[in-house]
Amino acid sequence: MKSIVINNLSKKFTLSNRPKSLKDWLLLHDNKIKREYWALNNINVSINPGESIGVIGTNGSGKSTLLKIISKILYPTSGEIEINGTISSLLELGAGFKPDYTGRENVYLNGSILGLSKKEIDDKFESILEFSEIGDFIDQPVRTYSSGMYMRLAYSVAVSSIPDILLIDEILSVGDSKFKKKCINKIMELKQQGTTILLVSHSDSMVNKICDRLIWLDKGNLVMDGSSNEVMPCYKEKLNS
Amino acid sequence: MLINLKAIYKYKNMVFYFTRSEIRNRYKGSILGVLWALLNPLFLLILYSFVFSFVMKVQITHYLLFLFAGLVPWLCFKSSILSSSGSIVGNGGLIKKIYFPREILIITSILGNFVNMFIGLLLIVPLLFIYKMGININYLFLPLIILIQFLFSLSIGLVISALTVFVRDLRQILDIIMMGLFYTTPIVYRSEMIPEKIKLLFRVNPIAIIIKSYQDIIYHGVVPDILSLTLLGIVSIILLFIAFKIFNRLNRWFAEHI
Ligand SMILES: Nc1ncnc2c1ncn2[C@@H]1O[C@H](COP(=O)(O)OP(=O)(O)O)[C@@H](O)[C@H]1O
Ligand SMILES: [Mg+2]
Repeated sequence: MKSIVINNLSKKFTLSNRPKSLKDWLLLHDNKIKREYWALNNINVSINPGESIGVIGTNGSGKSTLLKIISKILYPTSGEIEINGTISSLLELGAGFKPDYTGRENVYLNGSILGLSKKEIDDKFESILEFSEIGDFIDQPVRTYSSGMYMRLAYSVAVSSIPDILLIDEILSVGDSKFKKKCINKIMELKQQGTTILLVSHSDSMVNKICDRLIWLDKGNLVMDGSSNEVMPCYKEKLNS
Repeated sequence: MLINLKAIYKYKNMVFYFTRSEIRNRYKGSILGVLWALLNPLFLLILYSFVFSFVMKVQITHYLLFLFAGLVPWLCFKSSILSSSGSIVGNGGLIKKIYFPREILIITSILGNFVNMFIGLLLIVPLLFIYKMGININYLFLPLIILIQFLFSLSIGLVISALTVFVRDLRQILDIIMMGLFYTTPIVYRSEMIPEKIKLLFRVNPIAIIIKSYQDIIYHGVVPDILSLTLLGIVSIILLFIAFKIFNRLNRWFAEHI
């Protein structure tokens, strides 16, 4: 069974300048400037379990949109997407953190948003705490945390379970290099355990290290899909031209 | 609906934590905060009984107790609907960033209002003391009525929360609707006072059935209208089914419209 199958997937965004009110619906004549934007055009991708894939492309090419559709935050305008297995997304770390809550309370709150039971979080708590290197600060409100600590805690909760599919979107750009290394090791560990990985990153070294296959998007179109050795040189060439 | 219920069950821990933080937010963990849940209905009780009993001379004995029985569940219904109106729009940060069953936001916001009602219901202790009354066996019906009230509020709340994403001034419209509903539901007056000609109109008001049940138990000390309640229970489950269908359909657009 495939891990992710994407068929003819397109995503259109309608950009209107303000939210609608009842008047707008009743009068129906919409004199607002409405712009449509196709963030993804007819994408076809099929991913096997255990593959680690890098999604590359310049800003605005639709990488985040693709990951958000896979994680069911956004829905496709047309086309199908089939997903087999549990997903863990590292799209925006720390979403759902409450500044006034302590680190410990936030771990439990955040874990619950990820669908974990109290017992599951209890069992993982020690390893989360250890991985995050937060130490005694865990019982301080997170508003007192540095942004690095905040990120580390959020990251540690997110990778605490072993998902079938892991989605990562440019989140490793923050944090010190030591923690970054630890994160990459963690991702490699999950990869060894058979987790399917989709990674968006601007760091070539990370993409090279983690990904075996690359998907290159440009303005919502799939330009190239193949092994890293094949795609990376073409992409580099295009960037420099 | 079954898929929704399964998802909610899987995320039951989130329901628990979010309801808890909802309550914590409301009372800020202080005694004064909890006191507020008592003071708010108490103030309205005194105000309305001044207007309707003292000034307008509505002929209802033990007016405070009568008012209490209808007003506290009404306030819960009203704030459940009004707060669910904001529960998707107000959680844009989460919805744009993480996947989770969105209906949990509505469930927890309504649960928070029910906890608030439970605190408000404590006012019955001094009221029974004032009127030298005791509780009666019919109080055993209360959990059933509260359950029906919850299911009904949830089905309306789900639809309202989703619609507010697309009609932003729905909240203002709801304020007006709620005002109208308050005066067309026998809360400050008795259902017997309604002229015969328009009584049927009041019969089909689901809120009135719920409010009347509270009044039957707490004020009249009689068995509530079981037939109406059973019907309303069935209707609520059907409504919930439809509400989940609408919610699931509109859910697809939440992340890009808030
Ligand atoms: N919610 C949205 N509403 C409107 N346009 C959007 C929305 N999200 C993304 N876009 C547009 O879609 C395009 C692709 O965005 P994105 O997927 O974030 O690109 P990338 O992650 O590759 O930089 C961009 O032009 C962006 O402006
Ligand atoms: Mg992006």
